[in-house]
Parts: sequence; structure tokens; C-alpha cells
Amino acid sequence: MSNQWFIKGVKKGILTEGFPQLPPEKPPLRPSLLIGSSNFKCPVGALDENKWNPEKCIFCDKCSMEMHFTGDQKLFKINRKMNAFKRSLYIYIIDSGTCGACNAELFNIFSPQYDANRYGIFLTNTPRNADVLVLMGVETEGMKSVLEETYESMPEPKCVVKMGTCAIGGAGIGSKISSLEPDALIYGCPPSPYTILEALIELKGDKP
Amino acid sequence: MRYYKFNVRDGYYIGETRQFSIYEKGMIRRDEPLERLQIIPKINDKNHFNFQYGPATGGLIESLDFKIITNGEAIKGIVVNPYVKSRTMRCLNKTIDECLLLVERINGYHSASHSIAFLSAVEDALNIDIAEGTYYGRIVILELERIRSHLLVLKRMCEPAGFGVPMYQLSYINEIITRIISDISGHRYFYSTNKLNRVDVDFGLLSSYIQTLIKIKREFENIFNGLLESKIFINRLQGNGLIKDDPLIGPAARAAGFKRDARSNISILPYKELNFEPIIFNEGDSFGRFYIRGLEISQSFDLCINALERAEQSEYNYSNNFSGEGAARLESPSGDLFYYVNIDNGLIKDIQMSSPSYLNLKSFIKSAINTIFTDFHFNFESFGIWVSEVGVEFI
Ligand code: SF4
Ligand code: SF4
Repeated sequence: MSNQWFIKGVKKGILTEGFPQLPPEKPPLRPSLLIGSSNFKCPVGALDENKWNPEKCIFCDKCSMEMHFTGDQKLFKINRKMNAFKRSLYIYIIDSGTCGACNAELFNIFSPQYDANRYGIFLTNTPRNADVLVLMGVETEGMKSVLEETYESMPEPKCVVKMGTCAIGGAGIGSKISSLEPDALIYGCPPSPYTILEALIELKGDKP
Repeated sequence: MRYYKFNVRDGYYIGETRQFSIYEKGMIRRDEPLERLQIIPKINDKNHFNFQYGPATGGLIESLDFKIITNGEAIKGIVVNPYVKSRTMRCLNKTIDECLLLVERINGYHSASHSIAFLSAVEDALNIDIAEGTYYGRIVILELERIRSHLLVLKRMCEPAGFGVPMYQLSYINEIITRIISDISGHRYFYSTNKLNRVDVDFGLLSSYIQTLIKIKREFENIFNGLLESKIFINRLQGNGLIKDDPLIGPAARAAGFKRDARSNISILPYKELNFEPIIFNEGDSFGRFYIRGLEISQSFDLCINALERAEQSEYNYSNNFSGEGAARLESPSGDLFYYVNIDNGLIKDIQMSSPSYLNLKSFIKSAINTIFTDFHFNFESFGIWVSEVGVEFI
């Protein structure tokens, strides 16, 4: 029976796309890099003194009369490259208070179109095997201590990624995650798989 | 309120809001707090022990806190805390537009369902008639959302069985659907797509994707039929997590033989014009829930393509200072989703929501008693539960 699935799989051929060596095949418009200047009253305060702040933006499109979405998926900031993880990077995820879409997009980087495994990026079910802790969602009472305990139980070297506007800026829903200094920030509501994949590749000091 | 009446217990039970118990056609004020989601064994067996599963675990998509009581083999009791990642949404005294930004982020995977259910309740309060093109446009995007959601459930059910090839093939199709959604609406999860009497979607562009939709429907059916022929896979699902009585809604109810589907029993969307009939099965186990979702994916492709012919973007300029009370319900991919709103001078004075995941969690724990832990994930995933929509408080 598993043989039958093996043959079915082989018949499909390689479905993985050329990204990140090649440009994204289907980048979403939102989220993407926003350009322009505007004094529009942004509902989440992401346009401060005419300047766009990706940490707060929920990519709602309300300012589209003056601002312009470029489709550019480079929406991340790496504070510290982790060259120790060049060969492999094991991810442990904590959902502090998400809507579920950030979670879904992180899982999507393992779908055949993106295939994060080819860059040595894997999910792990235990923090004891994890290199990076990915935090998503707003800060919630119930999950506060879980974040810190999980981080403590990870072996050195280790790093922290905050992903999505909720975790980074609160998204107009609640407070951003205040504990644990991030080594990388991945912007978006939710960030697209293109953005997540490229950010993780850069974080591990790999070349796309 | 055109669709709902207070103090009426009419039809099947839908779920709970902060203050009301919701039925098919009525809502009853509830004075007691919600009962805890738990089943504790009646006999205090000294062989029983507890173990903690979650709240953070790689095995689940979201954070959820389980205390499982077992005799080492079978699950004898479960205590669930779905409020571990509860969020508060500041909706009161906000405008409809401000509130909508929050409502569509209650459950991102079912964002179209939440925003359309909320807007339908607002439109009920406004007492306005919706343009025909908007009605059909809403059906189009709800069915696309259902296809993607059911695909995710099926994919997640392949994972614990170690069925890597179909799992990745389903992920591949799921991503194609997500990209179509992104192309036609500008966002992969329909954020900022739904407005009062308007769906901001390029329906012309979607028409150009019809052949793609037909092709991926066929591709899906090949994978699904392959899974149905796989005895090893089906054996893991049959008899696992059997539940045939209340509280059942959505695909879990239809799998167990109940004809419960808001698409056929409410009038806020014209599914009847598309000759919609719910698909019913007679196995209330994980296999039944898997099977129903598979058949519904094919049905949703057809509904989406048929509704597309009459879908249109329309415009409605509403006044900002209306007042009123409204309620509406629709069939989200996991079952009945209900919203109630009270609006004063254009500002939200009260908003209450009943999510299908609350009842699905309740049914799940009931169904999991006497199953073994290795079957836990198949059973849990088969209900399509989203924790994000259970623990939301509106302030
Ligand atoms: S897209 Fe929305 S959240 Fe972002 S800057 Fe514009 S108005 Fe603000
Ligand atoms: S950032 Fe946006 S997509 Fe991610 S959890 Fe928050 S609301 Fe959901």
C-alpha cells in the first residue's frame, strides 16, 4: 500500500519552486512592503508622523489611497545571525494568543511549493531539541510563564524569533510579547511563507 | 431581528454566547456560567493517573491545555482548558469598521465566516436588503474557505498515520487554493475583504481560474479515493472517537446522520437557489468525519463555481449613526457560527458570538473516552477545532 503512495508521489515529480534563488511565484499583495507617506489615521497607529511602522501594521489596506503595497516579501529584520545553525535549524513553536493564521503560515513553509526541509529547517515537538523558539500571537496571561519555561528548557546555543504583528506590536488586539529579546522579527498579519522561509534562511546564516 | 427571537428554544442546539444559549431559531438567556469542559471518571480507580498534554506541544496547531486521566491504556477522563490563550477584543463603543478588523482576526482560518456572520448580524440590525451579487459573492468565498479548511483537516489526519505522500499532496492543493484566494482578494486569509453589503473580490479574475478549480477538484478526488482504498489508514479511523448524540453540529453532526447545516436551514444566504442539499453519513466516528469532509470538498468546488455566475461587487453607503439589534448564523467549515450585535448611533454596544469550536470540543472529549492515546490525534483533528475562536472576550 505504501508502495502505491510512493509511486503516486514520484509520478507528480518535483513541485518545489525556485524561491528564494528566484523571485516568489505568487507573492501576496498584503502583506508586502508598503511605500509612500501619509497622514492617514491608521487604525492601529502604524503611520506615525507619516512614517510606516511594519511592527504595528496589520496590512488592512485602509491607507491605500496614499500608500502603495509593492508585493515585496522582504519583511523581516535579523538582529543576530546564528551561524551555528547553518547545517540545520530545529524550530519549536509557541502560540501565545494567535488567530491561527500565523500558525498555519508557519506550517505552510513545509508544503511542497516551499519545502523548508531542503534548507535544513525542521519542526520539533520538544524544546529540548530546539534551536529556535518561534513566538506568535499577543501576550496572554495563560501562556506568559510557558514561554519563559520553554526557553529555559532549550539547550545552548538558542535563539528567539517573534513572528506576526500580534507578537511584535500587538496588532490592535492586545499587548506584544514583552519577554525574551528577539534575534529576528518577521512582520506580517500573517507573514507569508515566502517571508518566513527567507527570514529563517538568513537567521541561520545560510545563503538563499 | 429578522432571523432570531429572544426566549425561544426552537430547533437544534447551536452553542453558547456570553449570556445566551443559542438554538436554530431562538436564543435563551443563561444565568449560570458555562459548564467546564471535562469528563471525570465516576469511579476513583487507584490505577488511574493523570498526565498533562499541552498547552504548548508540537502535536497541535494551537495552544490547548489537556489533563488526561488514564489507566495506562485507555483515556478514562479529560479536563480541557481552552482559555489558556484567551484574547480580549476591544469592540465595545467602536464603529462597525473598527470592530470588523478585530472580528476577522478571531479565527484567521475561518476569517470569511466570522466577518460575514458578524456583518449579517449588523445588516439585520440595519434592516437592509442585500444585493443579489453580494449574496452570491459571499457564498463563493465561504465555499473557498471551506475547501481549504477541510483540506487542512484531512491533511492533519494523514500526519499521525505517517502517510507522508497524501499529506504533502493535500498541502500542495491547499496552497494552490490559498494563492487563488490571495490573487482575487489581495490577502491569503480574506482579511479586509468583507464589507457591509460588499465583497471586495475580483470575481472576473476568479472566473479565469475555473479550469484550475476543476483540475484541482479532480486531483483532490484522486487523493481522497486513494486514501479510502487504504485499509491501514481507514482502520485507524473506523470506530475511533464514536459519538452519535448531542451536542453535535457541523460536519461532526452530518457524519453521525443529523441533517444539520446552516446552509440549508437559514435564509441569510441563497444556498437553496443553488439546489444545495447537505451530505449525510451514518458513522459518527473519525472515519465518518473524514469521509463527510472529503465529499463536502467536492460539493464546495461545485457550489463555488455555480455561485460565481451571479457574484458581483456592489456598493452600499450606510449612514454612520444607525441603531438596532441583529443576529445571524451561518455554516462555518466547523459548524454553526452565530453573532449577535446591539448598535447605538453607529457604535457597538454589545456583541456576542457562539463559535462551533466550543461544542466541537465538548463532543471531542465525550468521544475520546475509552479510546487509546495513539488514536487521540486522529480523533482530535477530525473535529476541525480552532481554539482561537473559543476563548474570546469582547470588552
Ligand atoms: S495598511 Fe492598515 S495598518 Fe498598515 S499602515 Fe495602512 S492603515 Fe495602517
Ligand atoms: S499577526 Fe495577524 S495573522 Fe498573526 S496571529 Fe495576529 S492577527 Fe493572526
